[in-house]
Amino acid sequence: MSDETLSMLADSAEAFARPDARRVRALRDTETGFDPGLWTRIADQGWLSILVPESMDGLGLGMAAAAVIAQRLGYALYPEPYVASGVMAIRCLASGDDETLQRRHLPGLMSGERIAAVAWQGESGDLDIGACGVTAAPSADGAALSGTCRFVPVAFADAFIVAARGADGLSLYWVERGAAGLACAPERCADGTHSARLALSGLRVPDSARIAGPSRAGTSLQCAIDAALVATAAELVGIMNRALELTLEYLRTRKQFGRAIGSFQALQHRAVDIWIQKELSRAAVAAAVRALDDPKTDARTQSAAASGAKARAAQAALALCREALQMHGAIGYTDEYDLGLYYNRALTLSAWLGNAAEQRRRYGELAGGEQP
Amino acid sequence: MSYGVKQERDWNALADEEFRAIVREDFETHYPKSQRFPPRRLRWSENKDWYLRMAEKGWIAYNWPLEYGGMGLAPKKLLIFLEEQERCGIVRFQDHGIIMVGPILIRFGTEAQRRTYLPPILSCEHLWCQGYSEPDAGSDLASLRTRAHLEGDEFVINGSKIWTTLAIDANHIFLLARTDPAAKKQEGISFLLVDMASPGITVRPIRDMAGHEELCEVFFDNVRTSRDNLVGELNRGWTIAKSLLGIERIHVGSPKLPEYGLSVLASLARARGLMADPVFRDRYLQLKLDVAHLADIYSEFTAIVERGEALGPEVSLLKIWATETFQRIADLHVEAAGACGGLSGDVAVEGATINVLAPYYKARTPTIYGGSNEIQRNILAKQVLDLPS
Repeated sequence: MSDETLSMLADSAEAFARPDARRVRALRDTETGFDPGLWTRIADQGWLSILVPESMDGLGLGMAAAAVIAQRLGYALYPEPYVASGVMAIRCLASGDDETLQRRHLPGLMSGERIAAVAWQGESGDLDIGACGVTAAPSADGAALSGTCRFVPVAFADAFIVAARGADGLSLYWVERGAAGLACAPERCADGTHSARLALSGLRVPDSARIAGPSRAGTSLQCAIDAALVATAAELVGIMNRALELTLEYLRTRKQFGRAIGSFQALQHRAVDIWIQKELSRAAVAAAVRALDDPKTDARTQSAAASGAKARAAQAALALCREALQMHGAIGYTDEYDLGLYYNRALTLSAWLGNAAEQRRRYGELAGGEQP
Repeated sequence: MSYGVKQERDWNALADEEFRAIVREDFETHYPKSQRFPPRRLRWSENKDWYLRMAEKGWIAYNWPLEYGGMGLAPKKLLIFLEEQERCGIVRFQDHGIIMVGPILIRFGTEAQRRTYLPPILSCEHLWCQGYSEPDAGSDLASLRTRAHLEGDEFVINGSKIWTTLAIDANHIFLLARTDPAAKKQEGISFLLVDMASPGITVRPIRDMAGHEELCEVFFDNVRTSRDNLVGELNRGWTIAKSLLGIERIHVGSPKLPEYGLSVLASLARARGLMADPVFRDRYLQLKLDVAHLADIYSEFTAIVERGEALGPEVSLLKIWATETFQRIADLHVEAAGACGGLSGDVAVEGATINVLAPYYKARTPTIYGGSNEIQRNILAKQVLDLPS
């Protein structure tokens, strides 16, 4: 898509989503953790249709557009699950191979009426998609799913896309929240949202609920994970932009020893170093977006770029917040001051889908050349 | 008047990749293998054959416009030329005439100065060195004290310059000298051209910790140079010295040297079986990402230059990140060598011959020269982050 379209999209996202720390504080630890009314308005903007192809009534705009939205929502600290549902679940469903299921479920997800989340990691949060914690045993008209899924980003999702290993390989199933045999326990994240721990005990799914079978499931899931990695990295860039802004403003105005503390070279140089990390993250995300949107780039290179971008942004965001807090002093550690909200969100997003160390390892496996 | 050699083709009419292929083919075929990625700057006696060939071919002034004997390359083509030079590990000679004096005379010089000085730069007959730093004027360059005063039609220069790269190879020097001691720091400085054969000039090489003699001290004792050798207006030399062009400003941020360092580190690590060590592997991958993301952001800056736009102060980021990344790579290289990290020169490491300390020494100075990284951080803090003084 053209730079002009992207910059128009960025402008409308900027007008739509403004930082509102009071709203964010009020939503912490509520039942859903976000504002369902606002979710509908996000859908009305068309942002949940960005990654759905036009053939399925989406906008088909690609990752460049999704990253613009994610970055702005990071800046405005939205707890609404744009990346988890609007990017990851929708991309997962849209890249599956069952058109009937796509036609059935995509409209509700795009309109914001329903929210889905992808459940693929096991108890330990392993990033290997083959190591998922759920198995599929054959049953009368489909499969019976058993096992545990953890770190499912939207605890109150209406439906889950569950990755399960069967005798023939990995499949993805559409599982409704109320399904018999599904227990869903929320785990509190650092930012006050909740991720789900799903326990499946012989949960019966018909073949007609299989979004992708063994020939497609791995690719679909990988494609959804890579999109989510890049979008999360973009969201972290937005968080860094705002946390740095708060810090620079503080350095300019806070006076000690009769002068603005931002005039001290020791602090200036540290501020420059976190700015550099933020800029590297932004550039890494931009490059990963180009890789994912380029049909000529092979899947392995795309995954490596996504991992690299997430590794950089996760590491940079935590370093930036750590330094921001130190430069603020005690006020930065209070719940009353906004920085902590950004810091906690950065902690949550840095850990989700693999932290910097885990993503470096994945990057190493994908980028090659380092094998002994 | 026509300058230099006629170009064999209109390079800008070629597709980028076609141009790249031509340059690469030429470098790969003709540049001596033994001189790729040398551990130090080579002396003119060592690499003059290559650069005289470049001069004859008309490729010596790759960054100059056609009308002055340069290659007349559009920004993108110029970057390709530099990238291929780096990719091949071609090390610079005493090329301040090409990268500094030529562009400065084309922009600020008189017609007579261009006629006098450009042809011998193009033929490599004149090799120029840069007289900026002084013993008491490093990062605070504007406090320089070398003075020049007019006596009739000549400037008389007294003082000394230091850290002058390869002054022993140069036969000319351009320098900043104080011509108005009463004016404010930056306002009393002039830009002068001097023949090194002039009476009163002494050059003393400085041996560095790697054992090389690339840097020199240059002393001026009543050295005379014609008034015609003043570039630009009297007392306006500071502006000229600061007028570095876009591509020179991003060149130090190129990812090629760190990429090369990483490949050297990888071979050493493989030879010593370190890639199987998860601790080493993680540190290596961190550096690999540091280089990959340097390349990502470098290409954003080159895109600005290619569009013909001016670079902002943000470009200091490139120098900081490229030079410090290379330093971290070189540090790990020495660590990975274990006991061999204390051995000087080419050493046997697990059956391979490696100069373990070469990248380490090479990585020390880039964070110091060209405006130290601390100065770059000051610039970013004030001009980009808008932090107070």
